[in-house]
Amino acid sequence: MQRIYGLSVLVIVGLTLFYIFQGYYPDLMYFFSNAFPPVISGAAVVVSGLSLEKYWRRAKGSFSKVWLFFTVGLFLWFMGEAVWAGYTLVMGVEVPYPSVADAFWLAGYFPYFIALYLYVKVFGGALTKKTLAASLASTLVLTIVVTSVLLVPILGAEEDLVTLAADFAYPLFDLALFSVAHMGLIIFWTGKLAKAWFFLNASVAFDVCADILFSYATANNTYYCGHMLELLYHFGYLFIILAFYLHTREL
Amino acid sequence: MDREKNTFEKALVEAVDEGLLMLGESGREVIYFRLKHSYALGKDDIPSHPEIFVGCLRKIFGSGARVIEKAVIKSLYRRLGLKFVEKESFDFFEYLREAKKQAGKDL
Repeated sequence: MQRIYGLSVLVIVGLTLFYIFQGYYPDLMYFFSNAFPPVISGAAVVVSGLSLEKYWRRAKGSFSKVWLFFTVGLFLWFMGEAVWAGYTLVMGVEVPYPSVADAFWLAGYFPYFIALYLYVKVFGGALTKKTLAASLASTLVLTIVVTSVLLVPILGAEEDLVTLAADFAYPLFDLALFSVAHMGLIIFWTGKLAKAWFFLNASVAFDVCADILFSYATANNTYYCGHMLELLYHFGYLFIILAFYLHTREL
Repeated sequence: MDREKNTFEKALVEAVDEGLLMLGESGREVIYFRLKHSYALGKDDIPSHPEIFVGCLRKIFGSGARVIEKAVIKSLYRRLGLKFVEKESFDFFEYLREAKKQAGKDL
């Protein structure tokens, strides 16, 4: 178990250093920025697929279906990353946003949300009404905060309707995932599965931050391939891999 | 007396089997594996040491274990032909004692 944490720290430090010193290798950075996401998201699909293989035995109950939805969601995100890489590396489009890649990414949120929802629903009886109310209230507050943070810069950027919708959709969809994921963390907090849920929540939190920054950066035309905010996306995928690995180890 | 005990224990083993199925077959296997290797408790020994079984569940699932415990209890009551009435102050062991007492009367 220690080895997987060590490896994760190594990847995090390595990626951070690689991004910090990108000034020395701009061409390599451009390639890496576009080629690495399909690799790490593909790894997440593989790990999720292995969990699916483990849990999907005779397809009994919603617990088994959880892993099918996780895998489908991650596969759609992988497709999004692959299409983005195709646009940038093959077709030479500098920032393909919004594009078909976004259709895959946004579609991926639905099965991923269903997976989280089904899992939490199975154990939902462990949540008290008070906890449930507090969770819903905190999600509502976060949604209001995120929307108000993005409102001025995005509306001021005079983007077209599709870009505008995508700018808001990502952070809000992330918050929808967070609204369910944090309940899982509360339920399993004192158990061994808490580690897996912690990393699952961390991955969603990184995605929330990354998507807010991306929406902000694209609205201000300051986003470029190799932007430091990409690290948050990479860490998000890394934490999904870690979460699924830990889950299959514990259960 | 022995027949009563056997019926109750058999029902509890089957109820555990059914309750754990909410995790899928592989999830159930993992719990039995953990019980066997970490606590030296076989599936058929659960009625003699329910506290070990519950402890194992709580160690893995935290407060989520309560949901599995309830599923086991509900299944047990059904198998014993008893009516399950939810009581807020009851935990797994109190339901178990209650079931044993009621089943003792009926068997």
